Amino acid sequence: MSDLSSMTPSERRFYEAGERQERIWVFIVLILLTVLTIIAMLYVVIDYNLVTKSGGQTPVIGQMTTDQAQPEGVAVETGPNAYTVSLVARMWRWAPGPIHVKQGAKITFRVTSADVLHGFEVQGTDINLTAVPGEIGLVSHVFRKPGTYYIICNEYCGLMHHAMASPIIVDPARPEAEAAQ
Amino acid sequence: MSAHLSTPAAVAVPRPDVLAAERRMMLAFLVVGFSALLLGAGIGPLQALNYSGHNLYPALRPFFQSYYQGLTIHGVMNGYVFTFFVICGLLVYLPARELGITPNMTLWRGSFVIMLIGTGLVLAAMFDNSSNVLWTFYPPLKGSPLFYFGLTALGLGSTLPLPILLQMRSAWKKQRPGEVTPLVTYMALITMLMWDVSTIGIMTELVIQMDPWSLGLIHTVDPAISRTLYWLTGHPIVYFWLMPAYVSWYGLLANQLGGRLASDAMGRLTFVLMLIFSLPVGSHHQFADPGFSPIWRGILVVLTMSVAFPSLITAFTMGLTLEFAGRKRGGKGILGWFKALPWGNPSVAAQVLSMLTFVIGGASGMVNGSWQLDAVVHNTTFIPGHFHMTVGSVVAMTFMGMAFWLIPHLTGRALISRRLALAAAWLWFIGMSTFGIGMQTAGLYGVPRRAWVSALPHEAFHTLYGAAHIPMALIGIGGVILWLAMICFYIVFFGSLLFGRKIEAPAIPFARAFGRSESYSLERPAVPSEHTSSLARAMEPVWFWTGVATLICALSYVPIFWSFLRHMTLSPGWVAW
Repeated sequence: MSDLSSMTPSERRFYEAGERQERIWVFIVLILLTVLTIIAMLYVVIDYNLVTKSGGQTPVIGQMTTDQAQPEGVAVETGPNAYTVSLVARMWRWAPGPIHVKQGAKITFRVTSADVLHGFEVQGTDINLTAVPGEIGLVSHVFRKPGTYYIICNEYCGLMHHAMASPIIVDPARPEAEAAQ
Repeated sequence: MSAHLSTPAAVAVPRPDVLAAERRMMLAFLVVGFSALLLGAGIGPLQALNYSGHNLYPALRPFFQSYYQGLTIHGVMNGYVFTFFVICGLLVYLPARELGITPNMTLWRGSFVIMLIGTGLVLAAMFDNSSNVLWTFYPPLKGSPLFYFGLTALGLGSTLPLPILLQMRSAWKKQRPGEVTPLVTYMALITMLMWDVSTIGIMTELVIQMDPWSLGLIHTVDPAISRTLYWLTGHPIVYFWLMPAYVSWYGLLANQLGGRLASDAMGRLTFVLMLIFSLPVGSHHQFADPGFSPIWRGILVVLTMSVAFPSLITAFTMGLTLEFAGRKRGGKGILGWFKALPWGNPSVAAQVLSMLTFVIGGASGMVNGSWQLDAVVHNTTFIPGHFHMTVGSVVAMTFMGMAFWLIPHLTGRALISRRLALAAAWLWFIGMSTFGIGMQTAGLYGVPRRAWVSALPHEAFHTLYGAAHIPMALIGIGGVILWLAMICFYIVFFGSLLFGRKIEAPAIPFARAFGRSESYSLERPAVPSEHTSSLARAMEPVWFWTGVATLICALSYVPIFWSFLRHMTLSPGWVAW
């Protein structure tokens, strides 16, 4: 009546071995995923400040603060070896000019958009933040090596999206030492 | 194709004219779907060549104004139109034939007509260059009303197979009380339940935000809420594409291989797990967005990792199914069984090859799903690399493989060339693997997705992306190979429809499973219910599982929308092309 009885002996052997191995496989998969999940969660806990809660909302779309105190695209010292750079993304530029930051300092980018969505990606780093009009996103990074990095827009923003790239120049922490090399 | 349509006494065989009407309808879904793929995938290599630095768009000026217009057409035609038509056809036709019950033809035709109207509207909106918003249409970019209303119609039409399936299942249950739903019908039903619940997101976005906004009835939208609603559907949509391919792997492929499905019950478990885990995880597409708390991102990581579980069960079940068939065909040793599979059958070749690309595609999904790793690859070419190795290979190739038996089955015409069909499968496999590996590698160099990089001045291109020139060359080469694959496929597809030799139409290759016979109603006499496995029976109350899934989905989205609704940011629209 059932398919069990209609199997040949070799089919039955294959089927029974398969059932056994299936249990082992499911067990292995569950262990694997549990371990992966624990590792992933651990990293979430360790660097949870990678992209923190939105830094807040902008009073007017495209404006960082009501008094516009902080200039765009300039590193402002906010603590010992800590700087903040505010950026208002616009079609199709990130900042008025190259952004200078210091090697080894904690740089916090505050990013918003004046028009559509933009994607704040700094090539060669793990900085990746969506620029949303009306919201300020925060992302912190320490540039370990001096040199020129590029902000590349990675969220489609219209006809010249591909041209929306601007340089971040990481100045050496000790220029004399650099020059002596 | 050893299945024969011997039906148990309780199930009536539909009259020949009714059967013919169902076949015609299925054929209509198939032809419209693959015509959409012809357009969508036909311009795909233009996008691939863009990344290898070859800008072909200026040469196509009268038809396409920009890369972004082409990319919008590529995404919409492949992601929505091709998949929706093929799926809404298959998920009604296969269960109807499995159960031996006539579907509600009015609803099924309604689904077809509504989606066809939607397709017409989006095509008009995309070809007049008014809606270059890409297939994700994130506001505040603003396209024409035709685009959003077209998508609304496509979404609405795609939900209609669910009531048809429910009707057929309850009619079958009346004839066979206490029995477990046959496997293909069960899988189709779970897929449609998952999809219809998930469309709440995108339909809310379209009806409440995009449609009135595009007409000028409201002037602003909240981009963050819009994105979140989009991804509520946008992640389950990948399962809406994938699960019908799994229907073929679990429900049909074993028969085409001349073997048996290793486990029917595990197939059911897989589908229920996908129903539960695919709904709440959409916001992992927003790992880079401001506004989500870190704790929330952590929860999303856990849920996303869980989605891998059903796919890894499938890897085992499919591996065992292939091995059994291969050994039965005389394959020996550790890998001899793989070589012994019926590689001469293009339908089998396409599906088994697509499983190979899924190994890389699935593994890269684990990268995207963990927040920290995603920070490196988010919105780089790594992401499209991932989904071309999944939907672009697994789903596209499985549907192509199904077309290779569906055309003879539906029309009574043989394929005009088995060799050309095989060539299509292999070229697609090679082309998509080359393209996908190129895209994923380029993404690690920070090459952004969706960017017209070939239009940059040479010097800028070199400065930004020079380091990635080898993977970017692979992208272009993969695209060209895919063009060759398409030429082979469409000669076979349309050639067989029009000029195929008349043969006796083969039956649908419904597979049989090992073990207790809980499935495949047309193949077996009525079996007392104690013969079915306890796992299969536990999966049978589909409404209970849908309720669980809906509840988890609601729990994961209420906190997000709660905070977003209290801090609305209203943006006006922008037309930026």
